[in-house]
Amino acid sequence: MSTLHLVRQSAFASNDFAQCLSVLDHQDSVVLMDDGCYNLKHPLMDSLIKRVDGSVNINVVVSHAQARAIEIITAVKAIEIGDVVELTFTHKKVITWQ
Amino acid sequence: MISIEQQSSSSAQANGLAIINSKAPFSSTHGKDALDIALIFGSFEQKVSLFFQGDGVYQLIADQDGSLLAIKDYLKTFSAFEFYDIEDIYVCQQSLSNRQLDENFHIDEVKVLSSIEFSAALNRHQHVLRF
Repeated sequence: MSTLHLVRQSAFASNDFAQCLSVLDHQDSVVLMDDGCYNLKHPLMDSLIKRVDGSVNINVVVSHAQARAIEIITAVKAIEIGDVVELTFTHKKVITWQ
Repeated sequence: MISIEQQSSSSAQANGLAIINSKAPFSSTHGKDALDIALIFGSFEQKVSLFFQGDGVYQLIADQDGSLLAIKDYLKTFSAFEFYDIEDIYVCQQSLSNRQLDENFHIDEVKVLSSIEFSAALNRHQHVLRF
């Protein structure tokens, strides 16, 4: 059962991203959107990238990151908000972390 | 003989209103509300100092563009602070480094303070509002 995780909160201000990572499965996908984009610079992100080593699909909504002047790292796929709709169809369920 | 006893804005005396900004700019109205209060106090010539702590430091970072989110970009109004005589703008250095942010701000005259200096500056104020 694959799950799409929509992360909308900054891990510097809330515990949501940590909780998301604690239930993350290897066939899941993560989308960083809204204040979730700030997590690209969070230590949890570095450990996630190391841990999954490419097996989990990690995405960021490019306009949301750009608005916040956040640089997108190569380990993360830059997507448009329309692509999030596609992702909801290719996963069995969706969890929004907000 | 004239003796001048003008205290500088960063003096040790209790002074004016402190506004703490602790929220990221685009996902809530907290930042805009804090800005409105600051400009209202400024226009009545009341002394205001702004403090940026935690995710609030994101409000000051350069090269942001709220128009990408179809949001009216209130951050651009920060450049009006000098016309309202809002000169004391403090940023917590620890909050910047936790977030791997450079001291690259979209307004000038921002003072980056260590945690100890930041709390000392805050404690000089008689009134505090936190957003």
